[in-house]
Amino acid sequence: MTNNHPFREGAKDALPVVLGYLPVGVAFGLLARNAGITPSEVGLMSFLVYAGASQFLAIEMIDQRMTWVPIVLATFFINLRHFLMSSNLSLYLKNTRLSLLGLLSAQLTDESFAVATSNLPKVKNNPHYVLGLQITSHLAWVIGSIGGALFGPFIKISEYGLPFALPSLFICLLVFQLKSVRHFGIMVVAGISSLFFKWALQGNWHILLAALLAGGIGVGVEIINGKQKAKGAKQKGQG
Amino acid sequence: MREETLAIIFGMAVVTFLPRFLPMAFLTRWVVPERLKMGLGYVPTAILSAIVFPILFFNEGGKVVIQPLYLLSAVSVFIFSWKVKRLWASVILGMLVYWGLGFFLGH
Repeated sequence: MTNNHPFREGAKDALPVVLGYLPVGVAFGLLARNAGITPSEVGLMSFLVYAGASQFLAIEMIDQRMTWVPIVLATFFINLRHFLMSSNLSLYLKNTRLSLLGLLSAQLTDESFAVATSNLPKVKNNPHYVLGLQITSHLAWVIGSIGGALFGPFIKISEYGLPFALPSLFICLLVFQLKSVRHFGIMVVAGISSLFFKWALQGNWHILLAALLAGGIGVGVEIINGKQKAKGAKQKGQG
Repeated sequence: MREETLAIIFGMAVVTFLPRFLPMAFLTRWVVPERLKMGLGYVPTAILSAIVFPILFFNEGGKVVIQPLYLLSAVSVFIFSWKVKRLWASVILGMLVYWGLGFFLGH
């Protein structure tokens, strides 16, 4: 299995994401069309921006006749969360050409990040695996969007459990991350604080804030544990 | 294509690209301190939790709610993926449970 070409391997691992992106892309294209965006503009936006939540919000704002400045500002804040994912992936992509990193980061989404981090051995120093994963997902998003803009009213996207495809993907990938009691702790802290942040603040801040908080607590616990271990070893050595 | 729409699209593309690119560009070229690395190691768990919990406990209007359909489907996926460890199977199972329960709960 690992003998396969990494690009193809990545494309294969993207299939669950494709399953989620197609219907959501169709929904996006349909809404965008209803807000007066042409199919070619829909395709261009999905190709260049490639960030679902902010695209939906932009459509909403365009529909309310807002200009580009507030839309671009809102987009910036919604997508700021990728900053942490990009930082995390950077640990495994040392020695990658800057131009290739540019392409990889342009296609970084919550979903592709989630799949990549559950396949770290394949990601490590293997940018072509990530490339295959992301190009396939990106393609699904663009095709879904254009399809929705062209044929939206004729497609049933809320059937067959499709709305739960991406939530299932995230839950499963979260389970894959739970390797120790500490990870469970991080899950509880991040999960509950994200609910609080989402309730208290508008927009998408909750993901970034909850991840920073939980990550910070995780580091704190590691540091305290490390000190205690060092202390324990010292005492043992003396006794 | 209209100018205003193009300005929106290109503006969105630029501000979305920067936070995706800059950390990758710099951190792959710098020696990352051990403690920062440790913190970044928890990022996947934290981000996934921060995405999943609000999906389950907020409705589309942004109100806090208990949604039996979502919660039961989510618990099924959680247990199934814990036991089976297969992404594809878990996604399909989640969709089937959600779809089936939807009829049962009358959604």
